[in-house]
Amino acid sequence: MKWIPNFNSSNSLRVIFVVAVFILLFLSSIAYKHNRDLDESSKVVMHTYEINIQLERLMSAIKDAETGQRGYIITRNARFLTPYIYSRDKVNTSFIKLKKLTADNPKQQQNLQKLFKLIIQRFVSFENCLKYSDPKTYDKRKLDNHMFGGRILMENIRFQVDEMNDIEKNYLANRLKIYDAEISLSPIFSISLFLVALSFILLAYRQISRDFERLKVYNKKLLISSGLIAESEVIGKFSTWQWDLDTSKIDYSDNQYRLLGYEPNAFVPEKETFLNFVHPDDKETVAKSMEEIISKKQLPFVYYKIVLPNHDIRYFKTTGKLLTDQQGSKILLGINFDITDEHLLNIELQERNSELEKSNKELASFNHVASHDLQEPLRKIQTFVSRISDADKEVMSQSARDYIAKIQISAKRMRVLIDDLLLFSRTNTTKKEFIKSNLNELLENAKGELTEVIDEKKATITTSKLPKLAVIPYQIEQLFINLIGNSLKYSQPNIAPEITIESHKVNSSDYPELLDQNVKKFHKITFTDNGMGFDPQFKETIFVLFQRLHSKTDYPGTGIGLAICKKIVDNHKGHIIADSTPNQGSVFTIFLPD
Amino acid sequence: MQNNALYILLADDDEDDRLFFNDAFEEIKIQTKVDFVHDGMQLMEHLMDTNNKLPDILFLDLNMPKKTGKECLIEIKKTEHLKNIIIAIYSTSSSEEDIEDTFIQGANIYIKKPSDFNTLKKIINEVVTVNWHYHTSGLNRDNFLLRLK
Repeated sequence: MKWIPNFNSSNSLRVIFVVAVFILLFLSSIAYKHNRDLDESSKVVMHTYEINIQLERLMSAIKDAETGQRGYIITRNARFLTPYIYSRDKVNTSFIKLKKLTADNPKQQQNLQKLFKLIIQRFVSFENCLKYSDPKTYDKRKLDNHMFGGRILMENIRFQVDEMNDIEKNYLANRLKIYDAEISLSPIFSISLFLVALSFILLAYRQISRDFERLKVYNKKLLISSGLIAESEVIGKFSTWQWDLDTSKIDYSDNQYRLLGYEPNAFVPEKETFLNFVHPDDKETVAKSMEEIISKKQLPFVYYKIVLPNHDIRYFKTTGKLLTDQQGSKILLGINFDITDEHLLNIELQERNSELEKSNKELASFNHVASHDLQEPLRKIQTFVSRISDADKEVMSQSARDYIAKIQISAKRMRVLIDDLLLFSRTNTTKKEFIKSNLNELLENAKGELTEVIDEKKATITTSKLPKLAVIPYQIEQLFINLIGNSLKYSQPNIAPEITIESHKVNSSDYPELLDQNVKKFHKITFTDNGMGFDPQFKETIFVLFQRLHSKTDYPGTGIGLAICKKIVDNHKGHIIADSTPNQGSVFTIFLPD
Repeated sequence: MQNNALYILLADDDEDDRLFFNDAFEEIKIQTKVDFVHDGMQLMEHLMDTNNKLPDILFLDLNMPKKTGKECLIEIKKTEHLKNIIIAIYSTSSSEEDIEDTFIQGANIYIKKPSDFNTLKKIINEVVTVNWHYHTSGLNRDNFLLRLK
């Protein structure tokens, strides 16, 4: 069930976000590494540069010493010896620094060690030069030797310094090469990656704002529909509740509280709360159905009584359904209907119905018994009268013979009345079995019943084709007999009766006042005669039981025939109407549903 | 003589009807012996008593005290040695229901009590002279109710 609007974008949105975040993380990590490398490189450059400087300082200190020594040897002025004396300290300071700087490099340490030895040798050579140049100890050959040896040593020292510088330079070059190799990402690539991430974020932003708009629309709709539901609950006397089975939280709609006789949110509903309202008679049923709804996921209507705080009893009808939402939590949804009014009305109706049924039965049995039991004495009167033979009549007076004739006529009329009454009550009480029948055959049967009168009156009956319909056959036959019989009976004196029977299919919408509009098609069957007709003002009353338009001496009849017709047509959910022009003829029209 | 006479039994509680019935038989001058019982109980006792001869035709009124004609009809048709008796229902009622019921229960003919003595004679004459074997074999709902032409 889709009762929550589905925001499809949320998943893709997440993906976009994650990708963008990863790209940014990647970019920043590269930038960080870049920085670190740069830092490292500058340190290496600085390192190399520092070693270079210290080596140069070392060199210059030695050179200073050399120059000072030379000056002294030439001039014998002790002032020239000052740089020579300081140079030892300078060399030592530089040397200590160099030792520190090259601490991580064993090869340089080795070189440094070599350099140190050379420098010491050089200073020993200085000492010797000074010694042999002193006029007291002057030795030209030894001085020359030492001067020359110092020269060679100086060359060696320079060579050693150059080598150390070269090693550092190479080291720097290697470092730069590695750095270049590591900084593999070009700036263009980085920028395009950044742009991709940016566009992803923009895309996500657009999606979010779109979803937000949709949410707003849904929110508005929700607000309207919840308002509508609350309103309709009040009007329709029903309420809804939700029961979250996972959290056991129960929510009542406002009207639920009202139906239970409280103000909305007057208490916090719990599982047992509702059962407290249920009438003791129904507690078990309701509790059972509450359990069943969980296993069956659906609750057929449960009917029970509720006792309100003011001890009023209300009748409830409840149905429910178990829903599993998108997160998989189970929610029980229920609707309660307050059917008290309907229930009471129903009870009243049932009572009235059974009363009606009872009185109907009484009427039917009264009718049957009356007609039946009335027949017995009547039949005997007739039979006894019929036993008065012609010979007996001969000895009677004229008036006695007349009286006997009148007894016979009255008894006969009584018989017709009883027979018709019986027929009328039977059209109502006997079982109504609808059988698909050919109305043409039923009409032929009816004509067969009336053959004698038709022949006697020399009547002509013109018939068009009648339909096949689901009817109560003997009743329709009776209907035809009565209608044709009626036309034959009320024919004009000295004019042969002409009866035309026609059938058409019509739409009920063409006769909105007469016909049941729920049935689309009807068969309209008309019986038109050229009889004496009747005053149209009686066209309704002629169908009423015992209603007669003529004196019984002129036209013997009971006033039941057309009432039977009406009853039969009613039994078929049809309609019968009559119309007439006096002295020209009548039209009886019956409508039977298709 | 007595042996050849048709034996007729009428079960009817109404004294006048029994009188008409008897008079009619006397007037049609067919050799018959007519007996009467006054209610359903008496009828069944009469039929069950093996000393009594079984009737050739039983005229059975439906509306009788103690035991109705329909109950008698069902009992007779259930009893082996009685079920072949020709049964003519002889009733005031002409309701479809009664006609239908008695037809289904196996009565042979349905006579509505006439209101004219001459008609009664004609009916009795018709019933007594009909070839019952022939009639019964072709029995259907249309010819079950006796109609005089």
